[in-house]
Amino acid sequence: MEKNRLLSDKLVTTLAYVFIGCFAVACLYPLLLTVSVSFSSEQAIARNGYSIFPQDATLDTYTYIFVNSGTKILQSYGVTIFVTVAGTIGALLITSMMAFAISIRKLRYRNVLAFISNFTIIFSAGLIPWYMVSVNYYGLKNSIWALIVPSIFNVWNMFLMRTYFNAISPSLYEAAEIDGANHFTVFWKIALPLSKTPLLTVGLMYALQYWNDWWHALIFINDKELFPLQYYLYNILSNVNAISSGRIPSGASGNITLPAETVKMAVTVITIGPIIFLYPFIQRYFVQGIMTGAVKE
Amino acid sequence: MRSAANETPAPAPARKKNGFFRELKKHHILYLMSVPGLIVLLMFSYIPFSGVWMAFTDFNVVDGIFGSPFVGLDNFKYFFSSGSMGWRVTYNTLFINFFGIIFGILFPVAIAVFLNEIRSAAFKKLTQSMMFFPYFLSWVVVGAIIYGIFSSDVGVANNMLALFGMEPISWYSEPKYWKAIVIAANVWKWSGYSSIVYMAAMVNFDQSLYESAKVDGANKMQQILRLTIPMLKPTIIVLTLLNVGRIFYGDFGMIYGIVGNNPVLGDAVTVIDTYVYQSMRTLGFSYATAVGLMQSVLGLILVLAANRAAKKINDGEGLF
Repeated sequence: MEKNRLLSDKLVTTLAYVFIGCFAVACLYPLLLTVSVSFSSEQAIARNGYSIFPQDATLDTYTYIFVNSGTKILQSYGVTIFVTVAGTIGALLITSMMAFAISIRKLRYRNVLAFISNFTIIFSAGLIPWYMVSVNYYGLKNSIWALIVPSIFNVWNMFLMRTYFNAISPSLYEAAEIDGANHFTVFWKIALPLSKTPLLTVGLMYALQYWNDWWHALIFINDKELFPLQYYLYNILSNVNAISSGRIPSGASGNITLPAETVKMAVTVITIGPIIFLYPFIQRYFVQGIMTGAVKE
Repeated sequence: MRSAANETPAPAPARKKNGFFRELKKHHILYLMSVPGLIVLLMFSYIPFSGVWMAFTDFNVVDGIFGSPFVGLDNFKYFFSSGSMGWRVTYNTLFINFFGIIFGILFPVAIAVFLNEIRSAAFKKLTQSMMFFPYFLSWVVVGAIIYGIFSSDVGVANNMLALFGMEPISWYSEPKYWKAIVIAANVWKWSGYSSIVYMAAMVNFDQSLYESAKVDGANKMQQILRLTIPMLKPTIIVLTLLNVGRIFYGDFGMIYGIVGNNPVLGDAVTVIDTYVYQSMRTLGFSYATAVGLMQSVLGLILVLAANRAAKKINDGEGLF
C-alpha cells in the first residue's frame, strides 16, 4: 500500500517534470531557431533548411541589413521607439490619474466614472465607425499620432491600478490633506511612490502593447517613413506569403526579389528587439505584479 | 411608481442639483484628473456610435453618413444570404474560439498544477521563464516563426516529414491545417501567461487540507483531483465565462499576423473581425458596419449573460 503510493507519487512527479520540460522547450525552441537562422549563411539554409544550430555561422546578414539597407530599418526603429516611449508615459499618466480618482471613496460620482469606463469594454460601435471618425474628424490617416492616441487609455489597466490604489490606507491621505495638500499632490507625492509594482506592471503592459502594435499602422499608415518595426516586418512576410501560396504565378514572382531566408529571420530578431535582452530582468516584476493583482481581484 | 414619487420630499431635486455642483467644486481636482481618460473614451468609444447609422444605409461619400439612402435591414440580410461569407466566418470564429477556450484552460491549468509538484526551484524558475516568453512576442513575430516551421522548402516541419520518409506538404496552400495551427499558436503564446493567474489562486489554498489528506493516505494524483482542481474551479469558471463572453470576437492581429491577406487560406481562418476589415475595402462601409454592429450586439448579450452566470456561481461577484 505504502509502496504503491510512493510509486504513483513518483509517477506524478516524473510526469510533471516531463510535461513542464517539454512545454518549456516548445516555447523557446522556435525562438532559438529564428536566432540561429539569422546567423547562418544563406547557402547553407537553402541546402539544409532551418536548423537549431547556426550553419556556417556568420554576421553577414546583420551587416547587410544595417549597412546596405540601414536607413529604412533604423527609421522604423526610431518610429517604434518614439511611439513606445511617448505612448507609455502618456498612457501611464492618464491611466493612473483616473484610477486614483476612482479609488477615492469620498468621490460621489466615482461609480458613474467606472460605469462610463466599463461600458466601453462590453459594447462598441465596431471597427468601421471608429475608423471613420478617426480619419475624418481626428485626421489620423498617415499621422504618427494614429500609432499613439487610440490606445493611450486601456480600461482594464485602469481597473488593475485602482485595485492597488484601493489598498492604500485613506488615513495617509487625510494626514496629508490636513497639512494642506490637494488631491493632485496626494496622488503625486503619496499614492504614486507607494505603487511602484503596479506602475511597473502596467507600464510594461503599455510598453509591450506599443512595441508590438502593427495593426494601427496597417489601417492608418501608408507613408513608408512612418512604418513601425512590426509593420515593416509584416510587409516583408506578407509578400513572401503571397508567393508561397501560389497566388502570384511563378513567372511574375521572378521579377520580385524575395528577401532571403536569413534576412527575414534577422529582421524578426531585430523586431523582437530590446525585449530579448530586458526579458530576464522584467519577467520577475511582471509575474509579481500580475500575481498580486490577481489575488486582490 | 406614483406613490414612490409622492414619498420623496419635495425639496430633494433642488438640493440634489445644488449637491452636484458642490460635489464638483469640492473634488474638482479629482474630476479634472479623470478628464484625459474620459476624453479618450469619448473620442474613440462614444462618438463612433453616431456612425452606427451607416449600417442601415447604402453609404456613399457624396451624401455622407446621414444623407445616404436608408435601406433598413438589407445589409444584415445580405450577411446571411447564400452568396456571402456570413455563415462561413461565423462558423470559423466560433470554431477557433471554442477550441481556443478549451485548450486555453487545459494547458495553463496543467502548467500551474504540475509546476506546483516540482521541488527544484532552479528548474521551476527556468521553465517558467521559458514558458512566459511567447507572451512578449507580437503576432507578426509569431507569424515569422510559423513561417520558419511550415514554409515548404526550408521549413522544419517538412524536414521532419522527410526524416520519416514522408512526402513534403505545401502548407501555405492547404487551408485544412490552418485552423489547428492558429489555435495551437494561440495556446502556445498565452499558456505561460495565463498559468500565472491559477498559480496566484493556488498560493492561497489552505495547506492543512493537503496535510490531512496525506495523513489519510491520499496520493498525489488524488490530492490533485480531489483538492487542487476543485479549489481552482471558481477561477476556471470565471476565466471561462470571460472568454465565452468574447466568443464572437476573433483576434485580428493573430489571424493577420499568421496568415496575412492570403486568399487561399482565407476561407478556413477568416473570422468576423478580419471579415469586417476586408468587407470595408470590397463590399463597402455600410455592409462592414452592419457586420460589426451585429457582432457587438451579440457580444453584448453574451457578456451580460456571462456576467449574470458569474454572479450566481461566484457569490454575487460578477466579471465587471
